[in-house]
Amino acid sequence: MKTLPVEELRELLAAVSSHGDWHLLEIETDLQQTAFLLDEAIEKLGNSFMTVYAHLMEQQAAIQLLADAGKLQVEEVAQLQVFQDNIGQEVNKVVTGMQFQDMTNQLLQRTINRVHGLKMLLQELSSHQFPMSADDEKEEIRQFIRQLNQNFDQGSQHLTGSLRKSVSQQDMATGEIDLF
Amino acid sequence: MAKTILTVDDSGSLRQMVAFSLKAAGYDVVQAVDGQDGLNKAKEKTVDLVLTDQNMPVMDGLTLISNLRTLASYQRVPILMLTTESSDEMKAKGKAAGANGWLVKPFDPKRLIEVVQKVIGA
Repeated sequence: MKTLPVEELRELLAAVSSHGDWHLLEIETDLQQTAFLLDEAIEKLGNSFMTVYAHLMEQQAAIQLLADAGKLQVEEVAQLQVFQDNIGQEVNKVVTGMQFQDMTNQLLQRTINRVHGLKMLLQELSSHQFPMSADDEKEEIRQFIRQLNQNFDQGSQHLTGSLRKSVSQQDMATGEIDLF
Repeated sequence: MAKTILTVDDSGSLRQMVAFSLKAAGYDVVQAVDGQDGLNKAKEKTVDLVLTDQNMPVMDGLTLISNLRTLASYQRVPILMLTTESSDEMKAKGKAAGANGWLVKPFDPKRLIEVVQKVIGA
């Protein structure tokens, strides 16, 4: 049975690494673009929300002046109070919903860091740092793969250890409160 | 005179929503972008309550709390954590560092104000 020459194997692994690296670079770029878009979107949403709320307050103040001057019917004042309460409830929901970017950004950054770490690991495939000494080519390939696997394992453990997950929320339901 | 609350969070949108909720309830708000910034601003003026995130660049929330508790002026000032972290392990660390409460994001403005009022009054 013909064995694969170790140099040819290294070239093939380097090619695999190159393909993987290209895809990971694309993923990294897309994730960074997504983070940037979300960042800009939340800034615009936040500023618009503040402006809308300020106008609402002005409008309510103007209506209150009319009510105080007796220019509104009792039923109209009651109806306006219902509107105000409804607006207040919706404002609370908006404030809760607007917090999504804080969580998605943390998750995106963690994913970006993992992709970056994976790229570093893949570079092992194209590196030529392992010693070549065995006369037995089959044994040398075995050593090569074993060393590669060890380096991957160490790198993977290090990467996982540095990427603690800080966001476990699965939805936008409000979180629990504990007072000590 | 309105009570002052220091909010510490590296997320601009989160700071904006926290400040909005607190100001609407009548509190004055000082904002900081990370633990170190929070510590500096806390030293400039002693506030009535500190509301801090945990995971931030430069200095995290637990380190901020530990540093604040070494200051004589912050021995009794209530400190609440407002964070995505929800594990019992992290809460225990927060309590050990000197936090008085733990709020998991996202927060509901009404409930946030209720807690703040309970801790420092209106």
